Amino acid sequence: MSGEPLIRWDWLFAHLGPIAERVGQHLYLAAIAVSVGFAISFALAALSIRRRKLYPFVTVLATAAYTIPSFAMFAALVAITGLSVFTAEIPLVLYTIVLFVPNIVAGFDSVPWDVLDAADGMGYTPGQRWWRVELPLAVPLVVAGLRLASVSTIGLVTVSAILGDSFGGLGYYILDGYKRHFTTEILVGGLLSIGLAVIADLGFVLLQRLLTPWAARRTVGG
Amino acid sequence: MMADEAGRAGHGSGSRTGAVSLEFRGVTKRYGHSAQARGAVNDLSLEVPAGAICVLVGPSGCGKTTSLKMVNRLIEPTAGQILLDGVNVLTEDVTELRRRIGYVIQHVGLFPHLTVGRNVAVVPALVGWSKERQLARADELLSLVGLDPAGYRSRYPFQLSGGERQRVGVARALAADPPLMLMDEPFAAVDPIVRERLQDEFLRLQRDLAKTILFVTHDIDEAIKMGDLIAVMEEGGRLAQFGPPDEILAHPASDFVARFVGADRGLKRLSLVTIADLELAPIAASAPPGLPTFSPSTKLRDALSVLLAADSRGGVALDEEGQPCGFVTVDAIASALAEDRQPAATRSGGVTRQGATGVGAAAGDDS
Ligand SMILES: Nc1ncnc2c1ncn2[C@@H]1O[C@H](COP(=O)(O)OP(=O)(O)O)[C@@H](O)[C@H]1O
Ligand SMILES: [Mg+2]
Repeated sequence: MSGEPLIRWDWLFAHLGPIAERVGQHLYLAAIAVSVGFAISFALAALSIRRRKLYPFVTVLATAAYTIPSFAMFAALVAITGLSVFTAEIPLVLYTIVLFVPNIVAGFDSVPWDVLDAADGMGYTPGQRWWRVELPLAVPLVVAGLRLASVSTIGLVTVSAILGDSFGGLGYYILDGYKRHFTTEILVGGLLSIGLAVIADLGFVLLQRLLTPWAARRTVGG
Repeated sequence: MMADEAGRAGHGSGSRTGAVSLEFRGVTKRYGHSAQARGAVNDLSLEVPAGAICVLVGPSGCGKTTSLKMVNRLIEPTAGQILLDGVNVLTEDVTELRRRIGYVIQHVGLFPHLTVGRNVAVVPALVGWSKERQLARADELLSLVGLDPAGYRSRYPFQLSGGERQRVGVARALAADPPLMLMDEPFAAVDPIVRERLQDEFLRLQRDLAKTILFVTHDIDEAIKMGDLIAVMEEGGRLAQFGPPDEILAHPASDFVARFVGADRGLKRLSLVTIADLELAPIAASAPPGLPTFSPSTKLRDALSVLLAADSRGGVALDEEGQPCGFVTVDAIASALAEDRQPAATRSGGVTRQGATGVGAAAGDDS
């Protein structure tokens, strides 16, 4: 600890290849979780919008899943799905649902009733109304959900390192650095993971700007 | 029979008549399933000839919106029929029907994610016009409602003022040249000055378009101004009176209608009648110079106001060429109202429309 620098750059430069691989794995695990979570959540949200009475149950279940500590969930799943990719993905997917569903539901709820009335009155068929009016207008809140879920998932991927060397993405370095009392590894894993989350978030902000040039923003006069 | 008069007014003013006639025949709407459910609209029957503006007016909750939405089947009637040129709307394909009917609502309901141009072209897009034709049509309509296409077509609705939004709403409803327009409190959300301008412009447009229009408002003054025919509705969705504005004002059919049109209905009638409708006295040789002058289209309301302000017992009426043609007195105006018949020119709605455009200038010139 005494003579040791905070970051050993020589170690870092010697491991650029493996670090890049871990970054790739990290993104891969997160992307799967966010995509699958989004698909499931979209279905649940659609159901909740149609059958409003189901919405509280969906919310309660999603929140309940979210309360289970990730560490415990990974550990418990090993008994069921072994050391497969499912063991890593199931908790990650479950955690996204509580972030996605309320945002998607709010997105469709946010479509003004007068716009829907006008759409019906103009002669949109129900399908046309959904694709051309409701979905585009729900985009801002849906993307807000994507931002939350991706940031949260990118952080959580690190915990899956407890499943072994073939999981965890950058979490591998955090765990390994902890075991070996090697600060450089912990910092590399932690900071890069934060960096990925920030980049993903900015990416979605950019996507939102591209998809919703119509949204009033403070920078544009009304 | 009053409907016929208004029909003439409508046909006379517009050359194209793509308009359809509209008839409510014993239309009833009860929300909910129980037989005892209070009716929102009760046994409504009225006929609107092609090319006329029919205003549904009445207090909030009397079933105006419900009546209007049954025409494009956003609401289905419990009983009765609504006929367009004699064809029951219930027998038509609902999507097709709606695309043939213009629809303007108070909250406008512009699509926030579409540019102004694409908002206007929504129905042409739905019915499959080519892109070029959509764009050309959108530009044409923006000009028609007084918005410069170059400056407006690429804006988003959030970049418009309330009045501009209403104009776009009207342009959108006109896009596919529908023979019938449904307008539910279209100008209620803007301030009075903008509202008045929009009303005037719309009436001017309608003179050329000659659409059949069902127009909903809770404002009796707007009803008098816009309507060739006025249907006064009362609580429970009953039709209290149906007729041209002047008849409603001159002969309210019930206490309810009298209260609803207001104690000043006599003064309101003054807005419907113009100098041209007066029986003029000859100009006395002894008439002093410098009397106020009135163009034929000046409303009696404005003429009276000028006479009272000038503390003058009389003024000079001018003919179309601007030559003096008669003498207008406060007494003559008063007796025109007292006459127990319709004003001389019985042009019902036509009177209102011409009055709306000619007067601003005339009154201004005179004062
Ligand atoms: N969807 C609905 N369900 C039940 N009642 C309704 C519905 N829409 C309107 N009503 C009722 O029907 C009556 C007439 O409403 P509406 O046609 O909107 O009146 P107006 O447009 O004249 O203010 C009101 O009493 C209103 O509460
Ligand atoms: Mg209403």
